[in-house]
Amino acid sequence: MLHESGAFICKIQGIKFSTLFYAEIKMIDSNDKTKSHFIQLRPPSRNTQLLSGVWIGMLFFITIIFPIAAQARDFSKMINCDVHHGTCTQKLQDTDIILDISPKPVKAMTDLKFTITLTGKQGVSEPFIDLGMPGMKMGPNRVLLKSNGKGVYSGTGTIVRCPSGKKIWKATVIVPDMGSVEFIFDVIY
Amino acid sequence: MSSIEVLYLTFLATGFVVGFGHCIGMCGPIVVSFSLNLKTKGVMAPNLLYHAGRISTYAVLGGVMGATGSFTRITTGIGGLQKGAMVFAGLIIIVMGLGMSGWIPLGQIFGDYCRPEGVIARSFRKLSGIQSTAAFLPLGLVLGLLPCGPVYTALIAAAGLGMETQNTFKAVLSGMGLMTVFGIGTIPSLLMVARLSGMSWLKSREIIYKIGSILMIGVGIYFLIRGLRF
Repeated sequence: MLHESGAFICKIQGIKFSTLFYAEIKMIDSNDKTKSHFIQLRPPSRNTQLLSGVWIGMLFFITIIFPIAAQARDFSKMINCDVHHGTCTQKLQDTDIILDISPKPVKAMTDLKFTITLTGKQGVSEPFIDLGMPGMKMGPNRVLLKSNGKGVYSGTGTIVRCPSGKKIWKATVIVPDMGSVEFIFDVIY
Repeated sequence: MSSIEVLYLTFLATGFVVGFGHCIGMCGPIVVSFSLNLKTKGVMAPNLLYHAGRISTYAVLGGVMGATGSFTRITTGIGGLQKGAMVFAGLIIIVMGLGMSGWIPLGQIFGDYCRPEGVIARSFRKLSGIQSTAAFLPLGLVLGLLPCGPVYTALIAAAGLGMETQNTFKAVLSGMGLMTVFGIGTIPSLLMVARLSGMSWLKSREIIYKIGSILMIGVGIYFLIRGLRF
């Protein structure tokens, strides 16, 4: 096709960026034949290259590294309590703190009864339990306990299921004015 | 300040904190995939609609928890739906990634020649080309069902509110309110991820799309496996 000025005109069928630096232009000439031409693009500035690298790195981190890293850490060595087969005991100052969770085996996403027994010195008010996962923020999940007398406190709560598949949970028993102890155990999903 | 207001503030802050610590890792890949798929379009409006949908689902779940006062009964009931949502998220990301890469001519396979009126053909065509802003609202509504630890924790609190409140209507509203503020708290982190992954001046580069599509397919497979194992 010829323009009035005499210049040859092609119909551009499409432009494809082959790499960061070249573009392929597909054209149809006057004989309806498709031709490809490669043109060199203006090379990106150093800042653009740097930002492209940062951007790709960030995408890679968010989509691949972060989720895998969140699962890769092995917390099983931290387990200090076998809740499935009995009670667990930890010492806080001169007081033994005994944790029991029932029914057994301890399953996530079920109603569980938490019982804390304090032997020796008692706190100024009822102890309570904060449930969470080691190394992962799960939000506040507090089990409030009521006194059954003689240093025994109980309450109901739920250990939720983490879709990452991690099964290691932490029950932090807080005794007001005395401090806290951590029981780390695995649960069944 | 009443105890319920304190609880709302606590869960707003919780949403904000877990957003940056937990949601970026768990839900960030979904947001990145959607933002990449938007190509040259702005990412803010679709993402806000996605979050509006997600929070609406949270609010409905919170209302149900408040009304029943039972976390375990409801979550047992919706377990299948959550598994389905996770598998759906995986599939949609894989299809978007394949569509974006251009390696597989999904349009030709499912759209142009092979019964374009068919359910599968229409679904694939729609899924691989979700770029309409309005489509992100129903997407958020469905993916609001994705199983998530911090969401479960907030739902336990909503169920707790229901147990404490005698009036059912108030219990429903309390549960909805708690889940809404929690969801709002998670928005800043995910919007930040969407904004960063949706920079149009970089997205015009073909190579970014190639890398992005590979990441999306990988993420989709990861979600699919997680969903099937859930």
